[in-house]
Amino acid sequence: MENLHNIYLEEAEDLFSKIEESLLLLEKAPDDSSLIAEVFRSMHTLKGSSSMYGSNKVADFVHNLETIYDRVRGREIDLSQPIIDATFRSLDHLKKIVQSPDIPDPIDAKYHEKLTAEILGLLDESEGTDKIITRAKGTKKKTFLISFTPDKDIFINGTNPILLVDELAELGASQVFSYMEKGLSSKTFDPKKCYTSWDILLVADDDVNPIKDVFIFVEETSKIAVDKVFDGNLLSLPEFTSQLPPVDLKGKRLTLKNIQNFISKIPKEVLERQEEENQIMEVEVTEEVVTEETQKTHGSEESITSIRVSSDKLDELMNQVSELVTTQAGLSMYSENNFDPVLNAIADNVEKLSRQLRDIAFEMTLIQISNLFRRFNRVTRDISNQLGKAVKFVTEGGDTELDKKIIDSLADPLMHLIRNSLDHGIESREERVKKGKPEKGTIKLSSYYSGAKVYIQIEDDGRGIDAAKIREKAITNRLISKDDKLSEKEIFDLIFVPGFSLAKSVTDISGRGVGMDVVKKNILDIRGDISVESKIGEGTKITLGLPLTLSVIDGLLVKVQETSFIVPLVDIKKCFEIKRDELSNDFNELIKLEDDKIPYLDLRKEFLIKNEDVPEKASIILLENENNRIAVCVDSIVGEYQAVLKPVGKYYRNQEFVSGATILGDGSIALVLDAYKIIARKIVKQKKSA
Amino acid sequence: MRSIEEEQEHTEVVESYLSFKLDEEFFAVDVKKVIEILEVPGITSIPLSPDYMAGIINLRGKVLPLIDTKVKFGLDPIEFTVDTCIVVIEIEVEGETLQIGTLVDSVLEVLDVPNSNIQPSPSIEAKYRLDFIRGMIRRDDDFIMLLNLDEVFSIQDVMYMQEANENMSSTELTEK
Repeated sequence: MENLHNIYLEEAEDLFSKIEESLLLLEKAPDDSSLIAEVFRSMHTLKGSSSMYGSNKVADFVHNLETIYDRVRGREIDLSQPIIDATFRSLDHLKKIVQSPDIPDPIDAKYHEKLTAEILGLLDESEGTDKIITRAKGTKKKTFLISFTPDKDIFINGTNPILLVDELAELGASQVFSYMEKGLSSKTFDPKKCYTSWDILLVADDDVNPIKDVFIFVEETSKIAVDKVFDGNLLSLPEFTSQLPPVDLKGKRLTLKNIQNFISKIPKEVLERQEEENQIMEVEVTEEVVTEETQKTHGSEESITSIRVSSDKLDELMNQVSELVTTQAGLSMYSENNFDPVLNAIADNVEKLSRQLRDIAFEMTLIQISNLFRRFNRVTRDISNQLGKAVKFVTEGGDTELDKKIIDSLADPLMHLIRNSLDHGIESREERVKKGKPEKGTIKLSSYYSGAKVYIQIEDDGRGIDAAKIREKAITNRLISKDDKLSEKEIFDLIFVPGFSLAKSVTDISGRGVGMDVVKKNILDIRGDISVESKIGEGTKITLGLPLTLSVIDGLLVKVQETSFIVPLVDIKKCFEIKRDELSNDFNELIKLEDDKIPYLDLRKEFLIKNEDVPEKASIILLENENNRIAVCVDSIVGEYQAVLKPVGKYYRNQEFVSGATILGDGSIALVLDAYKIIARKIVKQKKSA
Repeated sequence: MRSIEEEQEHTEVVESYLSFKLDEEFFAVDVKKVIEILEVPGITSIPLSPDYMAGIINLRGKVLPLIDTKVKFGLDPIEFTVDTCIVVIEIEVEGETLQIGTLVDSVLEVLDVPNSNIQPSPSIEAKYRLDFIRGMIRRDDDFIMLLNLDEVFSIQDVMYMQEANENMSSTELTEK
């Protein structure tokens, strides 16, 4: 049950964002019929699943909304701003009440009533309910003859044939004839067997499938025949019904011929009139049928192009695939060392297949960033209204795909950055006009691939960041001294220092100085980076660089004694070889590189590895994050390696310089090092010794 | 007619325990907590971790942390022989179920022990921390110590030992 609830909530959330997205577009183009249909469809689905899940309050509420959009769709009313506004408010309300459908909070309950009244008011403004409902109900009726002779042993399966007949009768008006097998005596009668058979005349929609579905569990053993006998409702004609034989258990069975015979005896005018009526009904419903069909095609397209899979299952798939890749690496290694051409060929094939499989599985865990962008659409609209600013929100590259975990952890930082742009970046209307800018400000949220990274940019054409002001503020906050010479980039980086805010006043939306540092931390946590560009008076551009995924890391495989380590490639600036004795004399632990002196960290010493069989030569890896450069000394470099990151578990959470482990081709484990933590270690040490 | 006590004795719960040896002492763990028993494969040690954290191994594509049970109980670090085994157990840590591997000198047998045969641990012999021991099983002349796994391998304890360890290593550093 809990599970069902979660599925329902997930689906509802999807639908909400779908409706919101369409509504936002509709605000700009209120006549777009495909969008209106989309809104209607989503509401319809929402209503369906709500009532299925048992929250009738939600279902009733959505029903009224749906009715409005049904009328909009039918061009009976125009999609006015009040309707859109009411819908937005209703959506917000719905988001709340789907969580607790009984609406325990009295304030919510009151709001619920108020909104319902408002929607009903909107409904009243547009009369004409009856027409729609009658029209929706009209469908083409046909008359069928169904003959059903159940298998004699039908009771053994626990099936009750009467229930099947009842079920048929629910499909439409019907006339049932039942028969008993002849020649039964009390001696031959076996109470466990079924001796009854039925003929049913049924008036139903022009589709035999629902009828056949009734018999789906007995169709293999029982005799079932379904025939269409007339294009119309025969049972509504007294001329026909009067000819039908009385219900008699011992009577003769009805056949197709009987029925046709009866029909031929009905006066032609009567038949024609009946057909005509049917025709009229058809005309009336054509439109409905057409929209239903488009709905169907839309529905089926969607169900083909995407299915819902729980992310746990995907994670499990990824695990299995990475295991397969590891095993395959072992196979390849073995086949290379054993010169067996057949084995080689097989190993090559397995390698190719598993690589493809890995790519596909990997792609499956990626989702489009547009899901996230959509959310901001709405926020921008609300906040800009609240601030009284006119803002055009543009998104680009919504089809860029990223790991779900990354997208989840991007929501907060992006939200913060957009709020900042809205609050501090974009000027008020008057100010913009004075400056000769278009009255409407623009915020552009875009995303694109470049190399192995995804970039996300938030760009506004607002007032920009004043580097001089930041400098001043930083000096008064004693972050820097007056004599420090900073590049523009370094100055802008100051805004990420905790507690640093340029906003003159703290507003509802931003300016408390907690924020940019948190944004930066969040981005670093997902192995991304953040940079700011800005020109006074022209606008600000913030760029986030993100890895495609968190589970696979491109690294350099290195060895220290017997242990393998992986250093993330993104943090590596340079690699080179030196003689170990060049290091050992060095007291300050500084290494000379070109003209620079760089502090170094010998992993042997750092990790307290015994000084046995120290090789003569050592390799230096130059690590760099934005402010620090540190050389790390290892025994040897093996090569590049694509590592599938696995956690080492809670027991090792204090060894934070290890961000995970990965399994190498030969089944051994390599530890993935966190370059940031390694650099931090060195810096702390330097400070201690200083 | 049987007395009520006899009846109770008759319907008593018998549970299975896996027994193993550390040095010359016998220990047992609830069989329901044991996932499997492995031979010792190549172990990757993690630098700067506490002594009783023996490293990690590759268990069919998963990373399994290993604990040197002997160090944990204040004995000498384990020496690898043909009998050395890894008992993979499942424990409850901070509301999560984790799998860990425990290194033991040798695995003995699975015992079926009625609950009444488990005696409370004697409070006098405080050789091992009492909250680690759930009870004692008498077997011939020997006592088998029944371990309270969730307690023995709780992470809090790991953190505590960790701090002690780090203090040690930092004093080492300053000495240098």
